[in-house]
Amino acid sequence: MRLGYGTNGFANHRLDDALAIIADLGYTSVALTLDHQHLDPYAADLAAQVAAVGRRLAELDLRLVIETGARYLLDPRHKHQPTLLSDDRGPRVDFLRRALRIAADLGADCVSFWSGVTPAGLAPDEAWRRLRAGVAEVLPLAGELGMPLGLEPEPGMLVERLGDALRLRAELGDPAQLGITLDVGHCVAIEPDGVAGCLRQAAGLLVNVQLDDMVTGVHEHLEFGTGELDLPACLATLAEIGYTGVAAVELPRHSHAAPEVARSSFEALQAALPWTVRAEAAIRREPTAIGELFPAAGREVGRRPLDPEGDPAGLIAGTEDDRARSRLVAVLVEAAPDQAAAELAELYRYGDDAERRGVLRGLSVLTDPSEAVVEAGRALVQDALRANDTRLVAAAMGPFAGAWLDQHAWRHGVLKCLFTGVPLAAVAALDERRDAELIRMVAGLAEERAAAGRTVPDDAIALLQKENA
Amino acid sequence: MAIFDPHIHMTSRTTDDYESMYAAGVRALVEPAFWLGQPRTNVGSFTDYFDGLIGWERFRAAQFGIRHHCTLALNPKEANDPRCVEVLDVLPRYLAKDGVVAVGEIGYDSMTPAEDDAFARQLELAIRHRLPALVHTPHRDKLAGTRRTLDVVAESGIAPGLVAVDHLNELTVGPVAESGCWMGFSIYPDTKMDPDRMVAILQEHGTERMLVNSAADWGRSDPLNTYRTGQAMLAAGFTDQDVEQVLWHNPVAFYGQSGRLVLDELPGFTASAETFAGNSVLRGGRA
Repeated sequence: MRLGYGTNGFANHRLDDALAIIADLGYTSVALTLDHQHLDPYAADLAAQVAAVGRRLAELDLRLVIETGARYLLDPRHKHQPTLLSDDRGPRVDFLRRALRIAADLGADCVSFWSGVTPAGLAPDEAWRRLRAGVAEVLPLAGELGMPLGLEPEPGMLVERLGDALRLRAELGDPAQLGITLDVGHCVAIEPDGVAGCLRQAAGLLVNVQLDDMVTGVHEHLEFGTGELDLPACLATLAEIGYTGVAAVELPRHSHAAPEVARSSFEALQAALPWTVRAEAAIRREPTAIGELFPAAGREVGRRPLDPEGDPAGLIAGTEDDRARSRLVAVLVEAAPDQAAAELAELYRYGDDAERRGVLRGLSVLTDPSEAVVEAGRALVQDALRANDTRLVAAAMGPFAGAWLDQHAWRHGVLKCLFTGVPLAAVAALDERRDAELIRMVAGLAEERAAAGRTVPDDAIALLQKENA
Repeated sequence: MAIFDPHIHMTSRTTDDYESMYAAGVRALVEPAFWLGQPRTNVGSFTDYFDGLIGWERFRAAQFGIRHHCTLALNPKEANDPRCVEVLDVLPRYLAKDGVVAVGEIGYDSMTPAEDDAFARQLELAIRHRLPALVHTPHRDKLAGTRRTLDVVAESGIAPGLVAVDHLNELTVGPVAESGCWMGFSIYPDTKMDPDRMVAILQEHGTERMLVNSAADWGRSDPLNTYRTGQAMLAAGFTDQDVEQVLWHNPVAFYGQSGRLVLDELPGFTASAETFAGNSVLRGGRA
C-alpha cells in the first residue's frame, strides 16, 4: 500500500508546493482533486499543465489517484452540482471523461467519483435510473483507456454505503473497469459492517482508499486519534487483504493548517503501520533489505494457518508468515526487477523451511514475472520438489508451477503430492494441465498401494473418477 | 530443577546425551557456532553449519523435549583464515533468523589483527541487530586476553549488559565483574573450571550475572556439568532459589534480551512434530 495525502486538504497551496510538501513528509502517493486551482480540467493550456504535473510527480516519485469531488468546479453557485442525478448530467459526464483522460496521461491508478445527492422531489427509482445511465455513459472510455473508475459511497448521497455501490455494479453487469473507492471514516460513521468488514468485502474491487477518522453517525472528517477509527487495525486489514494501491489521508476541511496536519497524520500512520507495510517500504527504498526482513516475518506477523479449519497445516492457503513473505517478494520484484532473480535464489538458499516456502508462495503471486525470475523460480520449484517437507512441496505446486513448470516435472510434482499426503487442492491448474500420462501415473500409484494392502489416497481416487466420468 | 545450558555444542553430541540431559532437568539450551576441530576451508562450510543450527539440530533437540537456540558468528580461530572471513558478508541474513539469540562465539584466540577486525565488526552487527554477544576468551594468555576483550567491548559502544564473557576462571572473573558484562563459566572435567571451584567463585562474587555452562563439544566434556554444579551449590548451602537463578533465570534473562527466546513453544520449528523436512531422527518413531 502506498500512503498518500489528498490535495483537497491543501486547497490554499499551489499544486507544485503541495506535492513537494507531501513527498517531503514521506508520503509516496497523492490523491489529486481536480479543481479550479489544481490542474483545472477546463484550462486552455491543460495539456501543458498535465505534462508539467506529470514531470513533478515523476521527480517526487509519487503515485497518483484522481479525485473528482471538487465543490464549485462545474457550477460556481451550487456545491457539487451538477451530478449524475441532475436533470442535465451532461457536464458531469463530460467532467468524468476529462478526468479519465488526465488520469491516463498521468499514469494514475484510477479516477474516483461519487453518485451525488438525490435532488429534492426526484423519485428514488428515477434517481437510480439516472445514476446507472450516467455511469454507463462513462464506462466505455474507462475501458478504452484502461483506466479504472472507483465509485465511492458517500454519506447522504444516493450511493451511500458499500452495499449500494455493489448493487449498482451488479446491475451494470460487474464491469471490470468499475472498482470501489472506500473512505474508512465513512465506514466508521455509517457502515453496519465497520471498517474491517467493508475492506474485506470490497477487497478484490478496491482501487482507492481514503484515510481519516470519524465518529459513529457524524460525517465529519477528523484527524487520526480524534474519532473512533482503530487505525492500526484498519492498516492491518488493508495489508491482510493484500491491498497495494493508494491509501491517502482525506481531510478536506484542514487546508488552513495543511503542512502541520499532513505531518502529524504521517506520524500517526507510521506508528500504526503493520510490520509488513513498513518492511515493504524499506525494500522499496533499499531492495537488499529483504535479506534481513524476510527471516523476521514469522516473529512479526505470526505463523498461524490462514484457514485454520479447512487447512490446519497451511498446505493450501498457507500461513500468516507465508502471506507476509509473498508480499515482500512481490515488492522486491517490483522495486528491483534486475536483481530480483538473484535475490530470490539467495533468499531460498539461505532460508529456513518457512522462508523457502515464502519464496515459493511469493513466486505464485507475481503477475507478469520476467524471464530471469521465471528461470530462477523454476529451479527453486524443482529443488523444493526434491524435498520431503510436505509444506514445501505444497508451496512449490502453486500457480507459479502451474504456469511455468514443464509438463514432466509438473506431473511428478502432482504424484509427489499424492505420495506425501499433500491435498491436490494445493496444486494449481490441475484441471487445465492433467493429461493421460498423469492419469496413468496416478492409476499406477493406486494399483501399487492396493497391491500392498495400503490405503489409496482419496485425492487419487477422486482424480481417477473425474477422468473416467 | 530446570536447567538452561547457555553454551553447549550439541551438533557434536549423541542422542544419549539429549536423553540424559533431559533426565537431569535440561529443558533449554543455546548452541554457539564455533570451529569444528577440523578447520573449515570455505564459506559454504559455515552456511551449511548455520543451516544445521537453525534447522536440523533444533529439530533433533525438540525430539527430546529440549528447546534449542543458537548464536552465530565467525569464530576467532577461523577469523585468521581469509577463505573463511567472507562469511561475515552473509552473516547478517542469518542473524535475522528465528532462534538466533546472540552473535557468538566472537572474541580472541591468538589476538591477531584479523581477530581484532572480525571481533569489532561482529560487535557492530550485534548492535545493529539488537542482539546480545557471546564472547569467548582465549585459552592462552587468558588474563591479558580478557582485559583486551573488555577494552574492545567498551570501545564498540555495546551495552555491557548485552555481553557475556565466557570461559572465565578465578583470575579473570574480577575484571569482567567490574565491567558490567555477564560472566560465563565452562565447567569442564579437568581444565577450565570444575563444580567445586565454581561454587567458591559464586560464594565470593554472588549469583548475579553468572552463567554456568557445560560447553560440551567434540572433546572430552560432560553435558551434565551444569546439573553437577547445581548439586555442588546445594551441598555448599546455596538455596534452591540460588540454583534456579544461576541455572535457569540468568541465562533466560541474558538471551531473552534478543526478544527471540521463546520457551513455551519452538520458534521457527515449523516442520511436523514427526519429521524434519520429511526426515525423522527416531528411526521407527516415538510412541
